[in-house]
Amino acid sequence: MIKPPKLPDFSQYLRREPVMLAVLSGLAIILILAVSGLSRIFYAQQDALATRWSSRGTADLNAGNYRAAVTEFRAALRYARGDYAYQLSLAQALVGLKRTDEAHAYLINLWGRQPENALANLELARIAASKGETAQALRYYHNAIYATWPDNQETESRRARLELIHYLLGINAETQAQAQLIALEATIGDNPSQQAQLGRLFLVAHDENHALEAFRRSLRLKHNNPEALAGAGEAAFQLGLYPTARRYLESAVAVSPGDTKSVALLRTTGFVLQMDPFRPQIPVARRNRIVVAAFAAAGKRLSACAASGAAGPPSGLENLDQQWEDLKPHITDYGLRRNPDLANTAMTLVFNIEQKATTLCKAPSETDQALLLIAKLHEEN
Amino acid sequence: MEQEQSVAKIPGLNFIPAAVLRSVFREDRFFLILSVFIGIFSGLAVVCFRFAIEWCRIYLLGSGAVLSPSRMLLAPTITGLVIAVLTIHVFPLARGSGVNQTKAALYIYNGYIPVRTAIGKFITSALAIGSGHSLGPEDPSLQIGACLASAIGRRLDLSRDRMRLIAPVGAAAGLAAAFNAPISAVLFVIEEVIGRWTAGILGSVVLSAVSSVVVMRWFLGSESLFRIPAVELRRPSELIAYSVLGVVGGLASIAFSSGISFLRPLCKKMSPWTHYLQPAIAGLLIGCIAMLGAPQVMGAGYEYIDQAMHGRFTWQFLAILGLLKIVATLLSFVSGTPGGMFAPTLFIGAMLGASVGGAEHALLPHLTASPGTYALVGMGVLFAGFLRAPMTSVFMVLEVSGNYSIIVPVIIANTIAYVISRALQPTPIFDVLTRQDGMDLPSMEEQREENVLRVEDAMRPPTTPPLEEDEALGNASLLAHVGPDDVLLVRLRPTGWSSVTREELDQMIQSGNGSQVLRDVLHDNPIPCLHPDQPLEMALRYLDRWPLMPVVNRADFSKLEGVITQHDVLDRYRDFEGE
Repeated sequence: MIKPPKLPDFSQYLRREPVMLAVLSGLAIILILAVSGLSRIFYAQQDALATRWSSRGTADLNAGNYRAAVTEFRAALRYARGDYAYQLSLAQALVGLKRTDEAHAYLINLWGRQPENALANLELARIAASKGETAQALRYYHNAIYATWPDNQETESRRARLELIHYLLGINAETQAQAQLIALEATIGDNPSQQAQLGRLFLVAHDENHALEAFRRSLRLKHNNPEALAGAGEAAFQLGLYPTARRYLESAVAVSPGDTKSVALLRTTGFVLQMDPFRPQIPVARRNRIVVAAFAAAGKRLSACAASGAAGPPSGLENLDQQWEDLKPHITDYGLRRNPDLANTAMTLVFNIEQKATTLCKAPSETDQALLLIAKLHEEN
Repeated sequence: MEQEQSVAKIPGLNFIPAAVLRSVFREDRFFLILSVFIGIFSGLAVVCFRFAIEWCRIYLLGSGAVLSPSRMLLAPTITGLVIAVLTIHVFPLARGSGVNQTKAALYIYNGYIPVRTAIGKFITSALAIGSGHSLGPEDPSLQIGACLASAIGRRLDLSRDRMRLIAPVGAAAGLAAAFNAPISAVLFVIEEVIGRWTAGILGSVVLSAVSSVVVMRWFLGSESLFRIPAVELRRPSELIAYSVLGVVGGLASIAFSSGISFLRPLCKKMSPWTHYLQPAIAGLLIGCIAMLGAPQVMGAGYEYIDQAMHGRFTWQFLAILGLLKIVATLLSFVSGTPGGMFAPTLFIGAMLGASVGGAEHALLPHLTASPGTYALVGMGVLFAGFLRAPMTSVFMVLEVSGNYSIIVPVIIANTIAYVISRALQPTPIFDVLTRQDGMDLPSMEEQREENVLRVEDAMRPPTTPPLEEDEALGNASLLAHVGPDDVLLVRLRPTGWSSVTREELDQMIQSGNGSQVLRDVLHDNPIPCLHPDQPLEMALRYLDRWPLMPVVNRADFSKLEGVITQHDVLDRYRDFEGE
């Protein structure tokens, strides 16, 4: 039989252990208090150093001195390791230095800690966009739009959406961009310049109807807004509303004579209105003159094309050239008066020649350009 | 009863039932309570140690992220001179990492570590690490914890057994607080210091580690050492990439430990006056490395591990940093500068890991894991290969990362590194250091792999069949005189065994009990049984009382597998020494 180990004399223990435990407890409390005091001094110094380095970093970040900002935020993070804002600023500075992989590693970490943080999402979206990772970029942009912003929630969210729209337009995702623009439209309110900017984006996204509406809203708020006038003119021009376009463009040029684009558009609009025989409410004699002039312009276009080629007109235009030659004797003021249907036949041939020549010959003249636009307008109608 | 009365006599304790007090103040239970206090004190000491290192760093190297060249050169050099004077004249036991000193306390000095060692370790390590010597705070924290525990144990006049165990308890607390990783600390102390799992010590080690971590987190926050990037293993084929990391880590471990094994004795053998200069020269050379473009090698380097995990450096620079850190750590450590090797090991592993990850990414862009993941696995790889603590290495990575999806790459890479390291350098670094210091402490790796002799290795078939309990004494005596054995085993139904000698049978018959059966006389005299799988040393506990022991089947105690005698055991041990 194995004897159980002999227990030490209990009374002997009792005389010591409770006392020792009490002493140890007291000592622990005293030491904890002492270390608490020490840690207060320590953390006060750490906080001061972190603040000092981060404020330098913020100044450099705002000034675009990314290299210095990175070093300073790293120093700040030495003293406030877990600080979210410093890490985010560091990541932003790294993005500024185009060290996207490093920035991405920090941002992913931050995103893991606060998936709802708008800045982290926005930076991640930018990195994904720069890497061509569209799905990721869209995900983070959407997160950023609906996430929590530290201040100016509405403005920052709108800015993020605008950035997304620019990104979408950059990758030719026009349908998605239009959807985002419609969403943006609801958040803009009565700000003429923002409405004009919205209209401009709608124009880039090829949504001219919404663009025209946006420019009109802008003009209601500020009548002589040159940007809105030019935009409205351009939108109307794209929609084939040439009289409207002329009205807006004339105002735009009047307000801002240096706007060369509007000047050019106004000139083209003038040509379109001048060369369009199908415009309602024009006298027959005038219409016939326009048809004759258009037919002659098409003939000139054919001749120019033939002259540019070494062996006569390009192969696609031979047939049209023949048709033009056949029709030429009949397209006169007299011929058109005798047979008004010839006007349609002549203009159809003119449109065919202009469209074909666009692909086969040199750049069109302003008259040819106007005829093309008229062809497009009547094709749509 | 007397004890209960004595309890009642203690003023202020009358309200506590005597049974409760007796239960609490048994030494083993009191030791558990004491472990909590050891953890608290160690945690507080480690917190102060961390403050001290940080203050030294700020005042010696500056507060910015970019160090000035003059400080890079002067701080470690001048501090090296001060440390040399302190370690030679004031704190001679503060040299080295502290792990072996704690083991020595356990195995040689009955748990005794002088308080002066803790003070010396605290001051000199804080100066060394803070001034940029390539060393870490974990091993010193381990020793400081052990030292505090030892001081408390001595003050409480604990028994020798408890005193031996108290140093590892404090060591676990110190390491847990330094690493902010209680599981890894417990495992390391069990794996590297104590060398065995015993229920008696495990509870104390766990309690001290947990309480120290609680204290440390109270003051320093619960954030882990590194901001771990997202870790994901998408393709099993990537395990091959991690295997490459295991091979590289294994080879780097060999280079690192071979460097220490070779250079340390050379430095120790140099004439005594050079010992004043060695830490300073090491500091100067480290400063030169820093000035040449690698300031990351200075100090523990945790922030740079963090930056490597976040893809700051190119893979080529990471590889250079890993190699330079090996050189810098070799310089610091072999010069006798006090400080730990854990942090440098993690640094080297992280840099090599991220470098291998980056190189593999450059070659195979479809690999999904980030360099940060490789850095994390790399830390475990070096831990397994250099410190030769395979279990700790796996749990350390898991605990630091908090992500269990990394476990498979970690296990694979760590195992490869461990196997390579063991094959090419049979003696682990801690054992090398011990032997260089003229001690012969038990090697934990050798202990783990030691072949244990079992009862089945020494047992033999019974020469005489066992007697049944219903055998008459007369017949039993006749059978006893036929066989060669003086002792006969008796099977007692249903599952017991007893034994009887020839002389005892003869005496019983002479005293007129010849008609009785064996059960009548042996029923109250059963003997213990052995099983074939039990350690052979278990048999020695019984064989002086019962010269012939039955070895029975675990599923059927009445089935005799063999018998064993003291002679059989000694024969087996003699043969085993020859093996």
